[in-house]
Amino acid sequence: GTTVSARHASEARRLWSHYESLTHPLSLILTEQLRLILAPTLATKMRGDFRTGKRLNIKRIIPYIASNYRRDKIWMRRSVPQKRSYQVLLAVDDSRSMGESGSGPLALEALVLVAKSLSMLEVGEIAVVGFGEDVHVAHAFDKPFSADAGVDIVQQLGFRQTKTNVRKLVAEAIGLFRDARVDNKAPMSSAATQLWQLLLIISDGLCEDHETIRRLVRQAREERIMVVFVIVDARRGESIVDMNQAVFEPDPSGDGAQKLKIKRYLDDFPFTYYLVVEDVKELPGVLATALRGWFSEIVGEAG
Amino acid sequence: MDFPDGGREPTHQTQVRLQLRSRQADISLPDKTGPILVNTNLRRYALSTLVNTLLQSEKPIPLEFLINGTFLRTSLEEYLTANGISAENTLTVEYVRAIVPPLYLASF
Ligand SMILES: [Mg+2]
Repeated sequence: GTTVSARHASEARRLWSHYESLTHPLSLILTEQLRLILAPTLATKMRGDFRTGKRLNIKRIIPYIASNYRRDKIWMRRSVPQKRSYQVLLAVDDSRSMGESGSGPLALEALVLVAKSLSMLEVGEIAVVGFGEDVHVAHAFDKPFSADAGVDIVQQLGFRQTKTNVRKLVAEAIGLFRDARVDNKAPMSSAATQLWQLLLIISDGLCEDHETIRRLVRQAREERIMVVFVIVDARRGESIVDMNQAVFEPDPSGDGAQKLKIKRYLDDFPFTYYLVVEDVKELPGVLATALRGWFSEIVGEAG
Repeated sequence: MDFPDGGREPTHQTQVRLQLRSRQADISLPDKTGPILVNTNLRRYALSTLVNTLLQSEKPIPLEFLINGTFLRTSLEEYLTANGISAENTLTVEYVRAIVPPLYLASF
């Protein structure tokens, strides 16, 4: 995409180093938590079928006897640990509501924290997009994530876009992940490496057309793209957790009349994995919990 | 932009956060009432229904709505467009009792 400069380079540099030093202790904590979740060093479970091994595969015993002891691959071995490689797309809400609510600074702080922690972890590639009316790539997967890259990203986020099109973001992110899967530099030829893709959205959470978004999130999931929505909630005394939404819906009696319903905004939120963060200090803990939840769900389905 | 599932980008409603205020004490919402998210296609009648619901009024009170000192005569969408205001901003809307009851209530 085209590079949009929303700030002066000097201001961006100052902001990046400010947030970097501010979040440094937190990023060490987050790195360690992510290491435990994203890069498990334990070998995966015991697998069969071998002539020698560590543990008997019970399911092979009857065929073994029935075959007159000829089908003798009855042992299981601990399989080679699977190495995981990641592509993480950080999507930052660049819309004006972020600026109005004071969520902008909190979003930048969260972005610096997560980007730094992931780059220290060295588990794969990082890309950053800004979104609002449109989606623009602020840092592509194939570029190394240096401090200069960080400054460049901050320079492109000004929280001035006049719409918040989350639907478009999720749709375009799926496309970016498809391309990145093909371009991935990790040794995919080796069966021991498995590619995981994660979309992390950092936004004030105000978005429209929840039905379509829900459908796109399901589609992402079918393509094994994990989506986590981090709501930065900086409006003091006006938390999104308490915000209501008024909707006129067709009356169930079917007489064509519209009936007003007032519901909690977040009750209808289209993302399964979302976290509400008022202070960046909360992020390492809640993010780790969400990622753990997602992994255990995937493992549960596979097992 | 093509949608991954091949569908076209659907049309949808824009939403805006409203901060509802009244200077008339008897019809004011509690002080702590925060903004509420609504579709921008709402007009006066729908907003009136909304405020009456929030007030839990037994008999609907006809209301008029003021934004930046002018009465709302269009949908919120048209107001925002005409005045170059982004739906990204929280809109402060003042409501007052309608002095002359309207002759008919336009549907929203
Ligand atoms: Mg917004």
